[in-house]
Amino acid sequence: MNAKAIIKDRRFQYIIFGLILALVPVIQKAGMMKTSTVLILGSVLIYSIGTIGLDVLLGDSGLISLGTAGFMGLAAYVSAYCTTVKGLPFEVGAILAVGITVVIGALVGLISLRIQGIYLAIATLIIAEILLKTFKELVWFTNSYSGQKVAYPKLLGIFQLDRNSMYLFVVVVLIFLMIITENMKNSRSGRALNAIRRSEVAAQAMGVNLLKTRMIAFMYATTFAAIAGVLYGGLVNFVYPSTWILSLSLYFMAAVVIGGNRSIPGNILGSFVVFGLPDLVLKKLPVVSEMSGFTMIFTGVLIILIVLKYPNGLIHLPVQVISCLKKGSSRKGGEGIHE
Amino acid sequence: MSVFVQLLTRSLETGSIYALMALGIIIIFRTSYLVHFAQGTMGMFCTYMVTVFLKTMSFIPSVFCGVLSAVVLGMLVDVLIIRRANGVSHTGKQIITFGLVMIFLGIAPTIFGVDPITMPQFINSGDLNILGATISYNGLFNIAFVLVVMLVLFYILQKTKFGLAIRATSANEATARIFGIKTKNVTMFSWALGGVLGCLVGVMIAPSSAVTTFVLDSVFNAACIACIFGGFQTFVGPVIGAYLLGVLKNLTVYYVSSVWGEQIVYVLILLFIVVRPNGLIGKKLVKKV
Amino acid sequence: MNNSDYALEIKNLSISFGGLKAVNDLSFYIKKKEIFGLIGPNGAGKTTVFNCITQFYIPDTGEVLFSTNKGTVENLVGQKVHNIIRKGLVRTFQNVEYVGDLSLIDNVKIGATDQFTSNFFGSLFCSKKSRREEARAEEDAIKYMKYMGIESFKDMMADSVPFGVLKKMELARALMSNPTLLILDEPAAGLNDQETEELAHTIHQIRDDFGCTILLVEHDMPLVMGICDRICAINFGQFLACGTPEVIQKDRSVQEAYLGVSEEEDHE
Repeated sequence: MNAKAIIKDRRFQYIIFGLILALVPVIQKAGMMKTSTVLILGSVLIYSIGTIGLDVLLGDSGLISLGTAGFMGLAAYVSAYCTTVKGLPFEVGAILAVGITVVIGALVGLISLRIQGIYLAIATLIIAEILLKTFKELVWFTNSYSGQKVAYPKLLGIFQLDRNSMYLFVVVVLIFLMIITENMKNSRSGRALNAIRRSEVAAQAMGVNLLKTRMIAFMYATTFAAIAGVLYGGLVNFVYPSTWILSLSLYFMAAVVIGGNRSIPGNILGSFVVFGLPDLVLKKLPVVSEMSGFTMIFTGVLIILIVLKYPNGLIHLPVQVISCLKKGSSRKGGEGIHE
Repeated sequence: MSVFVQLLTRSLETGSIYALMALGIIIIFRTSYLVHFAQGTMGMFCTYMVTVFLKTMSFIPSVFCGVLSAVVLGMLVDVLIIRRANGVSHTGKQIITFGLVMIFLGIAPTIFGVDPITMPQFINSGDLNILGATISYNGLFNIAFVLVVMLVLFYILQKTKFGLAIRATSANEATARIFGIKTKNVTMFSWALGGVLGCLVGVMIAPSSAVTTFVLDSVFNAACIACIFGGFQTFVGPVIGAYLLGVLKNLTVYYVSSVWGEQIVYVLILLFIVVRPNGLIGKKLVKKV
Repeated sequence: MNNSDYALEIKNLSISFGGLKAVNDLSFYIKKKEIFGLIGPNGAGKTTVFNCITQFYIPDTGEVLFSTNKGTVENLVGQKVHNIIRKGLVRTFQNVEYVGDLSLIDNVKIGATDQFTSNFFGSLFCSKKSRREEARAEEDAIKYMKYMGIESFKDMMADSVPFGVLKKMELARALMSNPTLLILDEPAAGLNDQETEELAHTIHQIRDDFGCTILLVEHDMPLVMGICDRICAINFGQFLACGTPEVIQKDRSVQEAYLGVSEEEDHE
């Protein structure tokens, strides 16, 4: 493989992106960034993981899930319960958290994916509500409204992480997941998902098993939400029930739509716009910060505008602008010749 | 016996409220082919509007104004957004409804504040005794009112020319258009109606809690489940599903678990559709290839 | 008669929709390596027969006996749609089905979905096996695209190539699954005369080069009469006649079916 091909390889670009993200703690140490900013960036990256997973479901196969927040919360609580209450190692808690969440997700998928696509949305809406209620009611498991405390994880029982190293851990996991998702999207599974989105009938005729492929997509989204949940607990150190409400699932959906579906860089961009922009920028503006629902309105309006006017999402904006400029300049050139 | 009658009357009241919401969902589903997830949120918004009118007016005019605002809101959503989404994929249209959820969830606290607002009942006091069970006059009124609303709606659907237009649109929009039916009016009507039903449900449910941004969340969830239960293919199915759900919910809450009753019923209904994917009275459609 | 010479045998096939018999007691057979045409006026039930063979519709009665690529004869009735292709039967669609925002070569590769044996995790981590299979799919796709003469379009998005190219893409995609029986649903629809001529040539070539049997549903009479070895004519789901193009052309009932319909069309 020559150098040019490597540079063009998406996976290589992701690694470079990861290295840039890894500079953040260094900048913070140098005193050029607030510690709270590292925390916000870290959580945006965690939300990016959920967004990338949801995109496989929403973008590639056109199915809607409202369970992202619920599943993320469940994993966060299971991992918190295992490590804080039971004193199990981080790795064991993480595996249990992802495992339990995936099993519950699989049951929901098996029930609802046999029927029309919209049944998944409703089934996940209901399951998310049940999970939320569990978080509030099962005090022994979640400590209810007081919140469950989570310590920074200790990897392999040796490396005790702190805020900055936890941030780096998140970056590593994110980049790893970005790479395997890129692989998946370019494999037969990715193509099968796309074929179903275009036409269920044709996909079946080409040998695509509808239920199996949709299950894969839904399990993928659920797994990623679970991983995000585990990391969330580790980075933020507290898990509260009120985090895992429907609005969070809607924000994930917004991140996929706004950034640009079926594009991993689009997902990252979308997460930054939806989860990062309000905290990093909007809340510092004078009038806006006093409006309690501003983030919601902003995101809602953006979703509708993007769906109506710009279905490819913001990530395609630069490409389009450049091609527009090129067209514009070449047209001008053409006129010049006429004159 | 008295407990059972009590449960039954209460089920009727919950069932009526679910049925009204479910009817709103199904009418929009059948005419615009999407589940209007903002139905509850828009209803919530209009219920807030009613509280605003209540500051200067008495109950009935306030509700009337609230309903009017719901009509305007529903029409605006259809004209400004849904109608423009012609070329958008089905999933895209569905996502738009979530965008609406976010917008109304954001606007409500910004305009009306974050504190819960109380809402008076239509009939303030008085209970009726039936076979040892008590039911408030307000509850009775709600049950009767929903029945009247539904009878009127089903009369319109089945007997009037406009009802025929709605049914034709829901059977096949393209064909309906060819036969000169103004499908645009039909969808606009259904969006307005969805808003009105949401508002009415909000006014009925709010006195028992208070008007908050999540006042209609659980009713909306229940209505969705009722639609699944009864089947998305008919107008009657979800209504029957809603009443049944009301009964099941109250029985389970009383006899099985007061905390988890509702959730148990939901899970059971989700399992039920594994056996009957098209719901109680749904019919299977042969997909054209 | 020896059944092992048949690629496909339809026996007493019937299906009705809400009391309307769309196909009624239809029987015919297709010999191996034959180009076989299924014709009939509009609404004759050709597409329904098609969908009964590929199991999109499950026939009420009757058998669809198919000689699979493993050399056995199987009744397809009741089998899962996505498993049919594995047995060596592949179909195309009247109005080409493609994924607009995938490149043309990726669209072709969708046809090989069933050729993969590596599991999902293999494709996540690019395991050796999945890489090998992916490379083979790529190679095959290029091979068949070259065969169809559309290799130069391979990296273009399917949305941005002409319709004729998409039609050829569909044939290339069908070939990806090494079919023994290729069912073409109105392959000439939307093509101009020259393209139709080209298509006739291609169909012949596919039969000769890959040794597959071809079942063709087509409106374009000159095309059908020109390339088919044998033809079966149906009307209102009923069998009319079966035989060589000459036999069909001379058949009274077929003439009546077509002329009757064309008279009605004249009235409109």
